[in-house]
Amino acid sequence: MASHFSGVLKLTDLDDFITPSQACVKPVKVEKKQGRSVAKIQIEDDGSYFQVDQDGQRQKLEKAKITLNDCLACSGCITSAESVLITQQSHEELYRVLRQNKQVSSSEQKVVVVSVSPQSRASLAAHYGLSSSEVARRLTSFLKNLGVHHVFDTGFSRSFSLLESQREFLERFRRKEVDKKALPMLASACPGWICYAEKTHGEFILPYISTTRSPQQMMGSLVKGYFASQKGVSPQQIYHVTVMPCYDKKLEASRPDFYLSKYETREVDCVITSGDTYQIDSYELLGHAGSGSGGYLHHIYKHAAKQLFGVEVDELTYKTIKNKDFQEVTLEKDGQVLLRFAAVYGFRNIQNLVQKLKRGKSQYHFVEVMACPSGSLNGGGQLKPSSDQTNKELLQQVEELYHGERTSVPEQDSRVAELYQSWLESVGKEIARPLLHTQYHAVEKNTNGLSIKW
Amino acid sequence: MVALLPCICINRKALKQEAGSELLYEMKGALELLQRVSAHADASCWYVAWSPAGTLLASCGGDRAIRIWGKEGDSWECKSVLADGHQRTVRKVAWSPCGKYLASASFDATTCIWKKTNDDFEFLTVLEGHENEVKCVTWAPSGNLLATCSRDKSVWIWEVDEEDEYECVSVVNSHTQDVKHVVWHPTQELLASASYDNKVCIYKEEDDDWGCRATLEGHESTVWSLAFDPEGQRLASCSDDRTVKIWKESTPGDGSTDESWKCVCNLSGFHGRTVYDVAWCRLTGALATACGDDGVRVFREDPTADPEQPVFFMSAHVPKAHGQDINCVSWNPKEAGLLATCSDNGEFAIWKYNSDS
Repeated sequence: MASHFSGVLKLTDLDDFITPSQACVKPVKVEKKQGRSVAKIQIEDDGSYFQVDQDGQRQKLEKAKITLNDCLACSGCITSAESVLITQQSHEELYRVLRQNKQVSSSEQKVVVVSVSPQSRASLAAHYGLSSSEVARRLTSFLKNLGVHHVFDTGFSRSFSLLESQREFLERFRRKEVDKKALPMLASACPGWICYAEKTHGEFILPYISTTRSPQQMMGSLVKGYFASQKGVSPQQIYHVTVMPCYDKKLEASRPDFYLSKYETREVDCVITSGDTYQIDSYELLGHAGSGSGGYLHHIYKHAAKQLFGVEVDELTYKTIKNKDFQEVTLEKDGQVLLRFAAVYGFRNIQNLVQKLKRGKSQYHFVEVMACPSGSLNGGGQLKPSSDQTNKELLQQVEELYHGERTSVPEQDSRVAELYQSWLESVGKEIARPLLHTQYHAVEKNTNGLSIKW
Repeated sequence: MVALLPCICINRKALKQEAGSELLYEMKGALELLQRVSAHADASCWYVAWSPAGTLLASCGGDRAIRIWGKEGDSWECKSVLADGHQRTVRKVAWSPCGKYLASASFDATTCIWKKTNDDFEFLTVLEGHENEVKCVTWAPSGNLLATCSRDKSVWIWEVDEEDEYECVSVVNSHTQDVKHVVWHPTQELLASASYDNKVCIYKEEDDDWGCRATLEGHESTVWSLAFDPEGQRLASCSDDRTVKIWKESTPGDGSTDESWKCVCNLSGFHGRTVYDVAWCRLTGALATACGDDGVRVFREDPTADPEQPVFFMSAHVPKAHGQDINCVSWNPKEAGLLATCSDNGEFAIWKYNSDS
């Protein structure tokens, strides 16, 4: 099956995150009869297996199966990490949960929450020739009819992510003389980039990466934390699905750091791609200015310019450096460069950024790093162009629809401020920090003979 | 270490046959051994490359070292040893078109760049990024671009600026298996790669990025090496399937931009084992091959054949040119007929090819 994960992740060898080992932890139980054990195995033309006993009796053998529930993705078998992730998280899984809800008692039912990303909305909008808000309206209706209880917009959790990122940047900027690894701060919303960094550059690069959670995981925190307590349900009673523009987000959701061991539940249970959703609906939407990959550069730049240098920036001027996926924005005053930010998308540009960092030649304060060329709107899970449209044309259309949504300024959003107050500030910094931030772990290159693909 | 062995000549009678309206021409030629050198002790000698001026020969091998050889009088002597660049086998070396730089590709997943200073070479920088063994490095004729390929299935294109800074321009993943060799077109900014997936890919820059624009299928097993003809109109590929194929680009007359490469000649039945390397002489147009049956062969093109259907004849063959597999064959860029080969037994050999003996 052709891989849908980002180019960066493909080159990183996903199997090193979920690797094959010698034995499956869930061996299949087989009904065994006592007695003589001599038998022959015959394989028919259609691939079915028959056991032929000494007395000539033929018995069709059953295929060994492990249900998805049993499969812990321990990789005790030869299933590749990719196929495990993709089968464990699919729209079929969502349907299974919804079906189960109809069959069990109300106390055993799951509260199903679906959080939709603005990029997925834009992709669906382009595909169906609708506006993003129309798409949102229809998607909500469709999902609710299926039995989904709540439909949210990750644009909302993204506001939290942007606010925290802004704060984190200022904090790093202020300690840059003391801490050599405070800057450049590298964006962390893209899991393809994170996995590549953890695996290929390890301890060297991790200190530079922003610890602020991505919009998806911020939503995970919100839904299984704040929302759960508001509704009076425990986190494991919620089944949280997100709709994302790429497959890499499935890997992000399955990170151990986003697993609530106390409640034995993941913050995001299932990630489905834009392509996986077939119809759509709506609710109140939140767009943000800046790139189609979350607008991190835009927001952090403006905030830093104001807070650190008292400069009000209206519009950012992007300068193309090597190619359209490598752009720079600089803040200058009286001939001096105060801030130098960059947007670096795609593997070849990430290479150059990291090599420059290693040689100590990077002059950036912040870099918005994304694994996919052209950013999240061009993610591997977005809908493909129709037969009479080129990839380029579709991408342009998706970008227009994406930017057509009403934008909000996170610092001025009263609902966000209210939530910060009631949810986070009330619990205090200690408890709030893990809800908004995460950590990274260098991954050892796997040189186990089983995992080398010759 | 250095000895002149008696010359080995193949004498063939010049044959001129008429078969119908075709003329079959078999040109007799000879390969004379000039010198045999034990270059990399107790290890394979993987590759040899002539400097652009033709006066130096770089060799590299399983002992993780690169050696530079120059002629002193009648014999080739070791001028330099570059021993600390790599942690594993050095698989290939390549000279920059100006002759001032040397690039080395290693199984340690890095590519080193060395700069020539007076009579020695000093380490300039290392290109990192490949996941595992780098199988080949090659410089574009312009001198500004380099290409590398690896077992990680990718082909990387690098750019060097005036300050000797190297940056990755593109990473292309068109092959589904180990990529064995990359080579640049002699005059255009076009790259070709050969792989364990039996295919050859042709790359060009379009719309701000490099990508595979054509795939050549036909070999039945790993394609080990490639060589363009002097004008860049044809590409020779050699394979584990024991054939050498000649490909020509055809532009369909209907004006469509689809480029396709067709196989216009198939040299089969000449090699007993895998053909590991092929080299096309810029000066004479002769084609040389390195084979796993320990033999070196030279092929000449029949000048009377239809250019759309070229015909090649085996002009010279030394059956046991080395004691083990021959990994590389390389024509001297300035002296016509001067040929270098190297083998798994750690040796390289210098030969003189004469087209008529």
